[in-house]
Amino acid sequence: MRKKLTVIPERCSGCRVCELVCAISHTGVNNPKKANIRVISLYPHPVIKMPIVCEQCKKPKCRDACPTDAIVKNDGVVTILEDRCVSCHACVNACPIGAIFVHEDIEIPFKCDMCGGKPKCAESCPKKAILYVPEHTQGQAHRLGAALKYANMQEVEYYEHGVKKKLRYAEIETGGTRGDSE
Amino acid sequence: MSPEGGYHKKILHVDLTECKTHVETVSDEFALKYIGGRGWGARLVWEHMKDDVNPLGPDNIIVIAPGPLSGLYLPAAGKTSFCSISPATGIYGDSNLGGMFGVELRMAGFDAAIIKGKAPELSYLWIDDDDVQIKSAVKYMNMGSIETEHQLREDIGDETVKVATIGPAGENMVKMACITADWGRNAGRTGMGAVLGSKNLKAIAIRGTKDLPVADLPSLTRISDKAFKKLKQHNLFEFWQRQGLMSVIDYANASGIIPTHNFMDAHFDKAEEINGDVMELNYKIGDSACYSCPMACSNVNLVKDGKYAGTVIEGPEYETAAMFGSNVGISDFDAILRANYLCDEYGVDTISSGSLISVMIEAYEKGMVSLEDLDGVALKWGDDDAIMDLIRKIALREGVGDTLADGVYGVIKRWPQLAPLISHVKGLEQSAYDARIAITMALGYATSDIGAHHARAWPIAKELEMGGNWSLEEKADLVIYHQTVRPLFDMLGVCRLPWIELGFDENTYAEFYSAATGIEFTLDELLKRSDAVYNLTRAINIRLGLSRVDDKPPERVFNDPIKTGPHAGKALNREEFERILDIYYQRRGWDNDGIPTNETLKENGLEDVIEYMEQRRAGK
Repeated sequence: MRKKLTVIPERCSGCRVCELVCAISHTGVNNPKKANIRVISLYPHPVIKMPIVCEQCKKPKCRDACPTDAIVKNDGVVTILEDRCVSCHACVNACPIGAIFVHEDIEIPFKCDMCGGKPKCAESCPKKAILYVPEHTQGQAHRLGAALKYANMQEVEYYEHGVKKKLRYAEIETGGTRGDSE
Repeated sequence: MSPEGGYHKKILHVDLTECKTHVETVSDEFALKYIGGRGWGARLVWEHMKDDVNPLGPDNIIVIAPGPLSGLYLPAAGKTSFCSISPATGIYGDSNLGGMFGVELRMAGFDAAIIKGKAPELSYLWIDDDDVQIKSAVKYMNMGSIETEHQLREDIGDETVKVATIGPAGENMVKMACITADWGRNAGRTGMGAVLGSKNLKAIAIRGTKDLPVADLPSLTRISDKAFKKLKQHNLFEFWQRQGLMSVIDYANASGIIPTHNFMDAHFDKAEEINGDVMELNYKIGDSACYSCPMACSNVNLVKDGKYAGTVIEGPEYETAAMFGSNVGISDFDAILRANYLCDEYGVDTISSGSLISVMIEAYEKGMVSLEDLDGVALKWGDDDAIMDLIRKIALREGVGDTLADGVYGVIKRWPQLAPLISHVKGLEQSAYDARIAITMALGYATSDIGAHHARAWPIAKELEMGGNWSLEEKADLVIYHQTVRPLFDMLGVCRLPWIELGFDENTYAEFYSAATGIEFTLDELLKRSDAVYNLTRAINIRLGLSRVDDKPPERVFNDPIKTGPHAGKALNREEFERILDIYYQRRGWDNDGIPTNETLKENGLEDVIEYMEQRRAGK
């Protein structure tokens, strides 16, 4: 049974423990900017904290974009082959979710390798916002979220600088799964 | 001893008058002796200060100092101290914030930054790893803190840049102005925002990409893995993620220590309307954590309807909820969130502003100030519209707000009759824990080096637990213990909450520090260094004219017994307090005037401080 990483942004507190453990285990240095996972925090309205991690796509766009065939997929894991890579960063730009990273100190782009089947990020997340789950359950979080959203969704109207606005959100505590914000 | 990690050993110096920056390499001895964070900050303030320093003049420096553990893989490693001479109190002041800001400074390759001088126009500092620039911030003039952070990131074109900024209050040199980072994390106390404002420095934006130096990363990782596991297993861990410090409202009310109606009372009969449960059930939309912290004690809240609908704010925590709840008579959580939001956006400390606003309400209620003094706006307990208006007036220095903006001493200067109403020590408004039933808390406030702030010593819980039958000696020792262990966290650049709230063993921090530096340290050795820093800040204050008469708790704790709740009728005994103060001085190794003795200073390795203290003793 193949497993995948999935994230539940509503649970994420933005603590970056995932980045730290990833960087330490892969590069041996204390530097979250060398991690294969990133937490994006946006503010103010509403607060979004979103861990971005490689989805190991079935048809990887990064692979398609690579001019030197340096990207391969083995056993469900998309890997960049160091000896073939020319660091053109075409893969970085091709990734639809921005899950390939670069850092000045590191010659080739880097990305999630699932830690050989025991992803450290999922293991250490204090909020259980990163899960390592069987592939066939993918989307379940979205489905649950959609159902919850249907059941619990509320709307608020408010005024900002005299302009009437609406805010929609899903009840987070009851669901604990992916809701929607806009 | 040379540390192989923990430090870059680099301090960034910024002179805004000269528009110049340079990097100082610090010695191993300096790094280890003062550890970092507020330890470094205090030492640098001592070295750079003049005896006649004007806190809002260009000569005053402000030190930004995360610690040697900031940014490392260990629980809650995100604290940064700002240290300076406080414009609110005129003595040493510091304040810290959590989040990501200080970590980014370390990742840019600096352990600390010193800012002095005054920029010719409103400016911001842009630290892009080694590239440091002073840039114009004129376009952000009068912009709120949260909005400035947002706008700066957009203008720099990088959403991951970390920003610390002041709001309009800081620009206006309001003496309770704070420094804000990560959209609402505040270094709130002692007016550090006003110091930045006086320097025409609107913000500091940082992007750092460097590795943090760690001598023995495998060891650190091993100790940390265990530490994280232990915290997660604590039976209150999940509850902490859910309510954070808001759970303290119930505790403080049940214990009869919650500030109510300007500290006239210590019990609020509507506490249940503003507690953690109310927040969790009706307002909470997310968690927020400091760097590498599993506790995620911060709550992001949203007001869903009513006149404050759409207000989203990271907060409140206990202090804010109490100071803008029970202490001003507000029992509507919507209004507390709005007050929190306004304070963050204007850049005003919630404890200090909540306190002075409550003073004005009581003063007006008792006929001690006129309607004219209040610009024609009648004040009463729980009147949220008037209270919101006052926050704005303080930040913008409008009408009565102009006086409140000058802090405790400004208010007393204009209305001397209000002095007995203000709960403060040395000009710093008291935190949200009543001290009338706990002499240790009163002693902690009275002897705190920055004024009446709870983070230096919070012995109240222990005293409540212990009951009445223990000696003043033991009580003084408890305060000294708190004043030694708590500052250590600020020095290391980590948060104290895992220790105080989840029973995390403080010895682990010696293990972390040993792994980071590659030198074996015991907790005892670290505490000795922390003790030295406490004596050093004491020496700073004595240089600035402080003496025994300033070491007193707010007058109210002696004069006005608590009205209701479990401790109704109780007040503190003045003679008993003087007795414990004597004992405290003795146990600290200070003379009867509160000046550290030469032996104490020698023991602390502060030989160069002795001369100043001698002069003081000779009455010079």
